Amino acid sequence: MSHMVNPLATPEQLYQRRSFSALPTELQDAIFFSTQCLTQAAGLLLQLPQSVTAQANVLLARYWLVEPMMSHEFSDISAASVYLIAKLSPYPRSPRDLALVYSYLLSPSSTFFHPSSAPASDDSQPPPPPPPTNIPNDYYLPEHVYNSFHTRLLRCESRILYALSFDTHVSLPHPLAITYLQALDFLNTSKSTISKRTLAYLNTALLSPQMLYLTSQPNALAVAAIYNAAKDVGAKMPECEWWEVFDVDREELGFLVVGMRSVDGWGRKMREDVERMKAGTEGGSKRGGMITRRDIEGELRRRGISLGNGNNDGGNTGVGSEEPVDMEAEMARRMDEKMAEIEGSAS
Amino acid sequence: MTGKGKSRWADSAEDAALEAQLKKEKEEKKRLKAEKARKAEAEKKKREAEAAAVAQRQRQQQQQQQQTGNDDDANGPPAKRRRLSPDRDAAAAPTASSNDSSKLLRFEGGRFGKCRSVENYDKLNDIEEGAYGWVARAREIETGKVVALKRLKIDPKDRSGLPVTGLREIQILKDCSHRNIVKLKEVVVGDDTSKIENIFIVLEFLEHDLKSILEDMPEPFLASEVKTLLLQLCSGIAYLHSHYILHRDLKTSNLLLNNRGQLKIADFGMARYVPDPPPPKLTQLVVTLWYRAPELLLGAARYGPEIDMWSVGCIFGELLTREPLLQGKNEVDELTKIFELCGLPTDESWPGFRRLPNARSLRLPSSSSSSSSSSKPPSTGALIRAKFPLLTAAGVSLLASLLSLNPSRRPTASEMLEHEYFRQDPKPKQEAMFPTFPSKAGQEKRRRRETPNAPQRGQKVQDLGQVDFSSLGGIFGSGREREERGGGFSLRMV
Repeated sequence: MSHMVNPLATPEQLYQRRSFSALPTELQDAIFFSTQCLTQAAGLLLQLPQSVTAQANVLLARYWLVEPMMSHEFSDISAASVYLIAKLSPYPRSPRDLALVYSYLLSPSSTFFHPSSAPASDDSQPPPPPPPTNIPNDYYLPEHVYNSFHTRLLRCESRILYALSFDTHVSLPHPLAITYLQALDFLNTSKSTISKRTLAYLNTALLSPQMLYLTSQPNALAVAAIYNAAKDVGAKMPECEWWEVFDVDREELGFLVVGMRSVDGWGRKMREDVERMKAGTEGGSKRGGMITRRDIEGELRRRGISLGNGNNDGGNTGVGSEEPVDMEAEMARRMDEKMAEIEGSAS
Repeated sequence: MTGKGKSRWADSAEDAALEAQLKKEKEEKKRLKAEKARKAEAEKKKREAEAAAVAQRQRQQQQQQQQTGNDDDANGPPAKRRRLSPDRDAAAAPTASSNDSSKLLRFEGGRFGKCRSVENYDKLNDIEEGAYGWVARAREIETGKVVALKRLKIDPKDRSGLPVTGLREIQILKDCSHRNIVKLKEVVVGDDTSKIENIFIVLEFLEHDLKSILEDMPEPFLASEVKTLLLQLCSGIAYLHSHYILHRDLKTSNLLLNNRGQLKIADFGMARYVPDPPPPKLTQLVVTLWYRAPELLLGAARYGPEIDMWSVGCIFGELLTREPLLQGKNEVDELTKIFELCGLPTDESWPGFRRLPNARSLRLPSSSSSSSSSSKPPSTGALIRAKFPLLTAAGVSLLASLLSLNPSRRPTASEMLEHEYFRQDPKPKQEAMFPTFPSKAGQEKRRRRETPNAPQRGQKVQDLGQVDFSSLGGIFGSGREREERGGGFSLRMV
């Protein structure tokens, strides 16, 4: 059974992220989206199967519900989650592999989040700038840089494990979706078309700042992806409430269907945001497409929001400064809830 | 049933989907802005909505009896899917009643969060300091419960981070839930969380391990007790194998026993998930030498659950005699002892064994010469019967099948559970009727034992070199002296 379920985020964790983090929500979303994209890109360059990379995506998302985003560099946390999941999988990758891949992806030579690589969303936009010129010196990895990356990688690894109580279990909906499609006889359409579309929805959902993988179990994700794919390819679904066969209720399905469909639009917008922020930070465009803590700090300064401590060192201080507030507010909230409950049951 | 009349959601889902498709960039932006504003007050609304929905939620909770963990409502898992957008929540509340008609399974996967500190436990005494690190008995301060704390051995010079074996052990134990497998309660860390160096696995505490009981007991286990122990071991292994887990280090010191006669498999430091069919390259450096299957000794890199069953056979023998069955001094000696007990492999009994990497260096009597000699080599069963004269015929057949050289001849764990041996008299003893023993783990430090340790990761695979077994063929002389001593006077039957 453990292979079909995931630990889910508690409402408290989701609430906490929205209300107590020092970062505005849309910045959190931008960080989340671009880091998850970075993880996917690294997975491709490391020749990891998607089953491994997707698990790393989920692990990363969980981690950020437990610890503040700004406590480590985003790319380091991404690398550590890939490293950790790959280590436990049949496809381990060495720290040096990761160092090389990440230094390339973060260099201005890579096409990662480069404006030219953005999918054309609008005809009215000016033609995209030319692709970046490949300058191998950009991503040359001197030994001392590698060593410090390696040290950060290991620190982030143990940090992730600590934050998640060493539970690295991730069940992906992908195999379930294929099984469900088989049960549905592929809705009488081309097997490969609808399967690909379904998996595409599942993979895109990994990037969703709504964190669908942390709020729904794999069976629900699988059913929603099939629903969306069937709509896209115009396949005829059973007349009855077939999702109930897979233990998904209509409410959850509807939520996920909309959630999955909205990722595309969100993603485009967030790419624009990231590019704008990079352009706003000095030297931002010289440092590759990935958003960094420095970019976020620059953006916050422009907005006149100051972050407390805990954002500019390698970081553990951020945790300490936030936690007491959280605990108190949490306590107050729980007491409120209890009161409401008692009143509710009394009346 | 919920008919077409109530299928408002299907329509709205479709509409919403269509809408989302049609939405252009600008609309999207507007929507996001609106959502932002909405979310600001959303949380407040959520609480109101939650309070209102409490009554309904309780009803829903009753509906899902499959779930076990509805202990506390404020902290407990929400009954339905997690709601992030409370306004939707409120809107959806009336439709939720339409679900009352259909019973959907709810999967409870638990939650995630930070490790607790080891300071929540009071150390009582050390149990063991072995190859895998340190184990201590401790008491949880809050509840007073006694647990075993096992420290994960971490080499600070190892630049590959936390050891993969330790992480696998934690993950596998977390995934397992069976009465014959030791339960992992949590993982705790040292107080200094800036660098994670002290990692402790909190396991349920059991008073004994089978090894020290066997060493200290004046009389061997009764036949009925052996059956109970084997049945428990076997059902634990059946659970593991059905979940694609190989233990890869089964031995008596890794089998724990509590004072209520319950056996639990422990120490998953070598365990891993292995798909069926197994991947082509697994490490051969698994299982403590005395319990290591012949195919591993011969260098097979592709192996499966059969290697655990071989270890079960060795444990079976050890339960009968109180002494490890095959105490080889090194790989070659171990293989010699195996062939002494089980006979030499032939192309008929184990087709393909000659293709294993280390088999090439073995010099076995050629099959033609052994068939020409009038005395056929005795079968494994006959040799085992000679060694265990008190074992019933069914017992001999079970042990002989577990100790088949050819891995495909060994029974699977679930087949073994059905074996006739367990149905014959004497019947397996009830666990509650088990004798109790003084617990060493509870009071005093144990004496170090001389069992070899499980192989270390990264150790060099031993090359067997040239080994001459030709003198063994058909004679099996050296095995004789280890036969059952003073047999025949065991009237201690139940």
